[in-house]
Amino acid sequence: MSMGKFYVTIIHRPEMVPEYLQKEAEEGKAEDLTRSEVIQESINIFRTQQRVAHDNGLRTTIQMTYASLFSSEVVAIAKEHHEKYGDEIGSTFLGIQCQQFRDKFKSKELAVWLFSMEDKKRVVDEVIDKFYAVFGFYPTSTGSYYMDAELVNYIKSRYPMIKVAVATCWEEGPKAYWNANNSWYTIFDGSPWNPWIPSKRNIHCPASCEEDDIGIVAIPHLSRDLLAVFDGPGSYYGTHPQNILRGMVYEGREIPYFRNIVDQYRAMEKYNGGYAYNMMFVGPGWMSKNGRWESDYDSLHKSYEDGMAYYGQLKREGKAQDLTMSEFADVYRQDRPYTRPECTLWKDILYGSERQQFWYVDPWMRTCLDMNQGGAMIDLRPYAAKLVRPCGVGTKCLQDASYPFLVQSFYRAGYFTHYAGEGAVKSSKFCHRGEEVDLCACRTLASFSEEGDTRIVTLDPVEIEFANFTIRVQSVFRFAEGMGEIEIVREIIDTTDLQAEVTIDEYITACYGTTEYPEDLTGVRLALEGASETERIDYAYRCREAEVDGVVLAEALVPQVDTRLTMRTDTDEAAGYFREGFAFSPMYTIGIKKVIKGKGELRTWLKVEKAS
Amino acid sequence: MAQGRKGKLNYRCPRCLMREIDMDMLYDRDAGEYYCLRCSFVGDEQEVLRLNAQFREKYQDRTRRITDF
Repeated sequence: MSMGKFYVTIIHRPEMVPEYLQKEAEEGKAEDLTRSEVIQESINIFRTQQRVAHDNGLRTTIQMTYASLFSSEVVAIAKEHHEKYGDEIGSTFLGIQCQQFRDKFKSKELAVWLFSMEDKKRVVDEVIDKFYAVFGFYPTSTGSYYMDAELVNYIKSRYPMIKVAVATCWEEGPKAYWNANNSWYTIFDGSPWNPWIPSKRNIHCPASCEEDDIGIVAIPHLSRDLLAVFDGPGSYYGTHPQNILRGMVYEGREIPYFRNIVDQYRAMEKYNGGYAYNMMFVGPGWMSKNGRWESDYDSLHKSYEDGMAYYGQLKREGKAQDLTMSEFADVYRQDRPYTRPECTLWKDILYGSERQQFWYVDPWMRTCLDMNQGGAMIDLRPYAAKLVRPCGVGTKCLQDASYPFLVQSFYRAGYFTHYAGEGAVKSSKFCHRGEEVDLCACRTLASFSEEGDTRIVTLDPVEIEFANFTIRVQSVFRFAEGMGEIEIVREIIDTTDLQAEVTIDEYITACYGTTEYPEDLTGVRLALEGASETERIDYAYRCREAEVDGVVLAEALVPQVDTRLTMRTDTDEAAGYFREGFAFSPMYTIGIKKVIKGKGELRTWLKVEKAS
Repeated sequence: MAQGRKGKLNYRCPRCLMREIDMDMLYDRDAGEYYCLRCSFVGDEQEVLRLNAQFREKYQDRTRRITDF
């Protein structure tokens, strides 16, 4: 990928019966999918969106919904704009509901990933074949809010020309469900935030090699605020101007926050070899003439105009390149080794803090370090396991299409628990004669650098005060490409008492799951391998602990998510330990600790592997 | 009492919004007030707008253009 490229993909989907418009029109009336005022308003909004993009010199990808394939007006617009502006005509599985669909499938289902596998195949065939019948060619791009691997594998088997899909919404999971009064079933946390090539086994996981390559480039639905959305509704904070209005991140009619998000995404080139990406994808339902989200139509329209104007400005200044979805897929694949990670040091642009979070994705893991908590790991998804986890009717997971975590500190407490037990987090404690300070309590900032194929996050030193002396501690995280392993260095770089002994205790407290609620840890195995002894237990909520000297390996085997999590060190002077939890604290901990006199370091490696 | 109807601009319940739940309110024309089916909020438009302004306060950078990354 060439240096310093910021790619922008603008997607419009001509929904004929968008949920929001339909609900408004329906008030006090029975459902009618052929309501002409809704369909016409929707087409008009689609025209407006296209005009706004073209006025700003931007090309779009028109994702034809199934319903729109029956509209000669929309089909004519798509053909005209393809000819005139070079817009791509693609397909989408959003917006399938219309009278024709209802008659054919006898279903009100709107989410393609939630059909049974048998029905997914029928829907895919119908949608793509209808597209072909209308346009005389097959689409090369498609999408939905979520595209499970099983669905995409089927699509590729039948329509191999499809090379790109909008495949997930980043961190739409329990938070989105809650935000929508527990009625919006987009439950699929755990994917990358920027485009990736997915694994055949699970769409969330980046493919690790050609054999694992599902055959498409996946694009997340919107470019989202990585900090705000990790702890808030996905539909408030992203490159979707009306999402921002929904989140009320404005004063008056101006939303500088939109540009701030775009610019922070542009800055990702610093962490990804000069490459950065953005996508904007707004359905017509968000620009209703009646207004929406406390905003009148003028505000909705202005926000869209302003957003598009900024992309247009960047393009004119040579700072952005607009690509259609399929064009982007080609460019992306030109220079994307499977092992290459995506990373970013995201900073708060919303709440006025200086908070930074470092996000990292590769085929082995997705993780997040929170500088507000001394670099604590607050998210860890074991992609290495490549869990086959089908969703939809007839599957065990059904609506829960998230990729499981081992650590998600906001769902499972993290450092602060409610005065009992432990929460999921990876951090380090510094201990001296009964005093103990966790780095989670030491707010700091970080910087990013690279050494060959290693990405390095270096934290500013923090001060830890014991009763009679003070130490300065620096943390460094090193991510070596293709290893599935993080090297973590905790160094006491300064002390006011060179004779004082401090124990550095590097630990990870983890669990597994996809939601806030605990899962059964029975069957998890904790093990230690020391210089001359080993310890092993099967998890049974019995508060057992063990420790070995000269630790070689500390291990947690989590068969529920087919994951082996290990810690090792490079010194034979460290002890390893594990700690079983109990029912009120359903966690397991493995750790490595070492006594340092004066100054010194503890270096450990955390590895995530597929267990089976 | 009068039938509740959708009010203008789909005002959400400002109290539910504070806990990040998007809950459209119903409007009682006779009483001139909005009410929430979930959290029991009741108030006129001015009260809704007052609380919405309060909600926005958490975004300290909502008016700030940030370009240093």
